Amino acid sequence: MNFWSGLGVAAVAVLLLAWIVPTYGGRGFAVGMHPRTLATLGAWVMLVCASVLSLLSAIVLIRQRQPFFRLPEPGHLWHQTWPFLFVLGFIVLVDRFPLTWVAPFLIGSLLVILGERRWYVVVLTAVIPAAGLYGLTAHLMRIGVV
Amino acid sequence: MKMKLLGTAILSSAVAFGMAGMAQADEFPTKPLTMVVGFGAGGSTDIQARVLANVLEEELGQPVNVVNQPGAGGGVALARLANNRDEGYTFVFGTSMTITFGPLSSETDYELDDFRYVSGVTLGQSAIVTGEDRPFGDSWEELVEYARENPGVSYATQTALDRMIIEYIARQEGLELRIVPTSGGAGMAPLILSGDVDFGYSGGTHSGYADTGEMPVLMSLAEDRLVAFPDAPTLQEAGYDINAAEIRVVMVPKDVPDAHVERLAEALEAATQDERFIEITEERILMPVTYIPEDEVTQTLRDQVEGYKALIEELGGLPDEE
Amino acid sequence: MIGFDAILMSFAAALHYESIAIILGGVLLGYIVGVIPGLNRAVAIAIAIPLTFYMSAYAAIAFLIGLSKGTAAGSAVSAILLNTPGEPSSAATCLDGYPMARSGRPRKALKVGLLASVIGDLLSTLLLIAVVIPFASVALKFGPYELAAILIFALVFIAGMAGGSFLKGLAAGGMGVILGTVGLDPETGAARLTFGYAELMEGVPILPLVIGTLALAEMFVQLDEYRRNKGASVIKLSKDKEDDLSYQEFKGTLPTIFKSTGIGAFVGALPGLGPSVGAFMAYGLAKRSAKDPDSFGKGNPNGIAAAEASDNAVIPASYIPLFGLGIPGSVSAALLVGAFMIHGIQVGPLMLRDHPEMLFTLFSGMIVASMLMLAVGWYGLRIFAKVTSVPPHIVIPVVIFLCLAGIQVQGYGTFGLVTVFAFALFGYFLKKFDYSFVTFLVAFIVTPMLEMNLRQSVILSGGDIAILLDRPIALAFVVFTVLMALHLGWSSYRQWLRKRLKAPSS
Repeated sequence: MNFWSGLGVAAVAVLLLAWIVPTYGGRGFAVGMHPRTLATLGAWVMLVCASVLSLLSAIVLIRQRQPFFRLPEPGHLWHQTWPFLFVLGFIVLVDRFPLTWVAPFLIGSLLVILGERRWYVVVLTAVIPAAGLYGLTAHLMRIGVV
Repeated sequence: MKMKLLGTAILSSAVAFGMAGMAQADEFPTKPLTMVVGFGAGGSTDIQARVLANVLEEELGQPVNVVNQPGAGGGVALARLANNRDEGYTFVFGTSMTITFGPLSSETDYELDDFRYVSGVTLGQSAIVTGEDRPFGDSWEELVEYARENPGVSYATQTALDRMIIEYIARQEGLELRIVPTSGGAGMAPLILSGDVDFGYSGGTHSGYADTGEMPVLMSLAEDRLVAFPDAPTLQEAGYDINAAEIRVVMVPKDVPDAHVERLAEALEAATQDERFIEITEERILMPVTYIPEDEVTQTLRDQVEGYKALIEELGGLPDEE
Repeated sequence: MIGFDAILMSFAAALHYESIAIILGGVLLGYIVGVIPGLNRAVAIAIAIPLTFYMSAYAAIAFLIGLSKGTAAGSAVSAILLNTPGEPSSAATCLDGYPMARSGRPRKALKVGLLASVIGDLLSTLLLIAVVIPFASVALKFGPYELAAILIFALVFIAGMAGGSFLKGLAAGGMGVILGTVGLDPETGAARLTFGYAELMEGVPILPLVIGTLALAEMFVQLDEYRRNKGASVIKLSKDKEDDLSYQEFKGTLPTIFKSTGIGAFVGALPGLGPSVGAFMAYGLAKRSAKDPDSFGKGNPNGIAAAEASDNAVIPASYIPLFGLGIPGSVSAALLVGAFMIHGIQVGPLMLRDHPEMLFTLFSGMIVASMLMLAVGWYGLRIFAKVTSVPPHIVIPVVIFLCLAGIQVQGYGTFGLVTVFAFALFGYFLKKFDYSFVTFLVAFIVTPMLEMNLRQSVILSGGDIAILLDRPIALAFVVFTVLMALHLGWSSYRQWLRKRLKAPSS
């Protein structure tokens, strides 16, 4: 785990140092510090720490003769991914329609997926927060339905 | 692709709704309006906006809701307004600097011609200020004299605009200044009061020290001398040909129908004569209230943009331009 | 100077039932908004400002004081029960509060948090009353050099206490530094890492960042766990003694509370540092000086007490530069300036001369608000602690909804939704791979302040390091920082040696 995460962080740091920070980090002459100084420093810290981390854990893995790869089973992977896809889908919806109207479906469908079968629980949990949001935005804050 | 189709469908239905609204344009407004403020809740722009919204509500006969969309010195609110197709039901109450200097100093998704300026409402009171017991006292001329003899006098900047103005002045007068960045009035005040920095820009913080004299004004950046500091000269009087006057304006997207803009302008004109609005703005925020009609305010803003462009050219471009 | 009678009068005014009712209203509104994850002080302010237009000057200010105290106490509740800090400054409370609540002691965690915050708040208010006038100008001695030195000290100090792997903690800190530099460069005005988004010009907005990395990411982790063992991870309010705070335990946290209040008051009195820095510094000190530093982050009551006492002590102390010099030292101080302005009172040194009665009424109102906060929190705790006995499959969807609602209500729009999701992914990986969230968040919060002060120092001094000799306070902090770094290096080397000696053949 440490080996791969270290490698990942180091790769991100290299990407930052080599491409993102020089390109998008801002330019210009400054009396004190260059605009990119701190970002570059942060990326170097990431790179050094992450490389040392993967090196150390690689040594441990080799010493203990453990395999470097341990593929997760596909079912497991799916179980880890669907919540993200679910929320992402609703974020796309919320971007197009007011959250107040989308919310009951968001809460309700997740409840059903998680195994709630009592209809009154589903309906109440779905409607009450959305109604609260409506009251808050439309009447208390008076910013209209969000 | 499907998303796009869906989007088009929604858009066209929105247009259809809009048309229906147009049919009875003389009835505007027929539903609640939204006033967007490009700064956080609780600041002076926000407080003024909320009072204005209360007054407008009575004038227009519909609720006016205040929404804060902070970010990029008011730029986020304008970027969103530029894409708004709300026929004047959504408008921004903001400061002129966001729209005049913003597009010049950084990449923005909007420019001056994307909006209509319903009217100007109040005049800003920004100034160049200093602290007590400075070797140059509190007169601009003496400061220039002093800075010429002592290179390395420090100046606290808050915005890209005031930085450009001071760089222009430094070049005109042959000064060598140390320009220190600060964040807002709360960041500038301690530096000036403690004497760590010699002089600086202030958007309105100095009004709070008008009675104690802890923060004297060297020069007014408004069109006229400041109400609370009548002794300090304006930029023009001091011999610099720059118009940096800040105006607080109400803006709508450029394609809002004339009838709607007129109705809003009428309500705003009435609001600027409303006692509650005048009291809060003039006596507490210390900014003069004046109604500036659409043509006039648009012309002023346009002139300012031209002036800034000339200034940038004279300075040889902004530091971050490639 | 104002007479003693007048001071007594002002207290009598604050104890009038009408004033109490108004302050109570503020505390309640703030508490309710604070308890709901995703909603924070900014929302409470937006609700309250139109209300205060119609109140008298005193009522409006009392209401706002109650409000800001209420949100501080309320946001600790959601930090402890749901790992969702209402204010970024409550993030330090999550560190021990949430593990403690999950291990079946939510009521104890809430009580420690409440008592610590009330004590911190009250002591700091008394300090404010005692020193506001004579000592306010001391804050001006802390210019950019001193603030830069203190911030570097805080960074090193907090990096040293990050739990888990030191390397991972530093790497997470590096990520925080990079994200902290996003936005317009304070000196040149060049856009850095904004990729053309106007929304990023003032930096990555902290609210979506905190909601994403802490709350939403936690819900994803919970969904994952829930699937594995359904219904097992319910936090239950057990009836046994283990979940109540005994007097002995409370007494044990008192030294931590006092120390942390001191740190919070110091940080608050300096304009521009803010409650997050105070809370994390106090947490770091508590962990460093504890006999069992390993138990921090796993539900140590001292961790909650340190974070809450300091977080709440910052706010009254931030009024010291406000009333002494007219400089608002925190968001809630800036809010008060606005409220005073509406009612025609200029905040600043002149207040004591022109409106002394107002100043002392304000102080007495603050004390009354602290007491009411204790009462509201104590009874609220009974209701809110029940939230945790709701089964997780109901809590998870509702909290996900609240995270999105918090973004929408505060007007971040599409950009905010995308940001919150991106940071939820980021936070999920931080948790899965056990990278320190603390160092990440602290680096993110401190970087912009540090950069500003560092640049100011470099420009003002013209790059001459000898300036430190003229600034003894800054010099002292630089020396502290070096000593601290040496001490950290030495102690971790010794720990490593000890480990090697203990387990020579693993």
